[in-house]
Amino acid sequence: MFDVLDIGASGLLAQRVRMDTIAGNVLHMNTTRNERGEPVPYRRKFVVFEPTRAERGQTPGVRVAGIGEDRSPFIRRFEPSHPDADRDGYVQYPNVDLAVEMVNMLDASRAYEANITMMETTKQMLNATLRLLA
Amino acid sequence: MFIERLLNQGNAPLLEQQLKFAAARHRLIAENIANVSTPGYRQKDLDQSGFERALRERVAARRGAAPGSVRFDDIRFEPITPGGYATYHDGGNRSKEQLMSELSKNGLRHNMYAELLRRAYGSIQNALRERVT
Repeated sequence: MFDVLDIGASGLLAQRVRMDTIAGNVLHMNTTRNERGEPVPYRRKFVVFEPTRAERGQTPGVRVAGIGEDRSPFIRRFEPSHPDADRDGYVQYPNVDLAVEMVNMLDASRAYEANITMMETTKQMLNATLRLLA
Repeated sequence: MFIERLLNQGNAPLLEQQLKFAAARHRLIAENIANVSTPGYRQKDLDQSGFERALRERVAARRGAAPGSVRFDDIRFEPITPGGYATYHDGGNRSKEQLMSELSKNGLRHNMYAELLRRAYGSIQNALRERVT
């Protein structure tokens, strides 16, 4: 019964990683260069979740299988005076849609809350069981 | 054993099984909640009505049988995949509202059985002490 708290913790961790990824996407929504200063825009990232497998000796719950990159095309905007504009005057911006990120953020925070509620319930149940001894 | 006979009469073994069932079910609900954003995850649950039917059958069999001859601790908890909810575009069949209400219902049920079991043991204790505390 105590390891149910670990299941909740795995959910919390996964949603936190997801939240960090969303923060990175929002943060870089206007970044038109990479870390070497080349005019390659930031690519939107997303987390990949998978259920853990008991046959591999993992504790039950969820795990972050990896962080993938969104391969959809970059957004092109006509800004001829921008230093990173190409010959036709277009600037490539990251493929980040703020509305999508906001929706994902709400979903992540609700899922985080659900895990917290589950852990609270677990603690109450443990307390009730422990009172059997008293 | 005298103590064993004392503890395995009346409601106590039933409540014990109900407690175990609620704990096992809580674990699955916890897994479902942890995987609430996992694409393609299928929900897990235990067969509550099947379990209650098995309990009822044992209780009926216990009437008129020799004390201690009907056991409750070998009832199996059958896993089921709950269906009937909408399948979402990511392949999961979760419904967060249903999940959270199952969570609190199951938790409350567990606490109720724990409290009833505590009372049952308490009355045995009172009988042994010959004193009402």
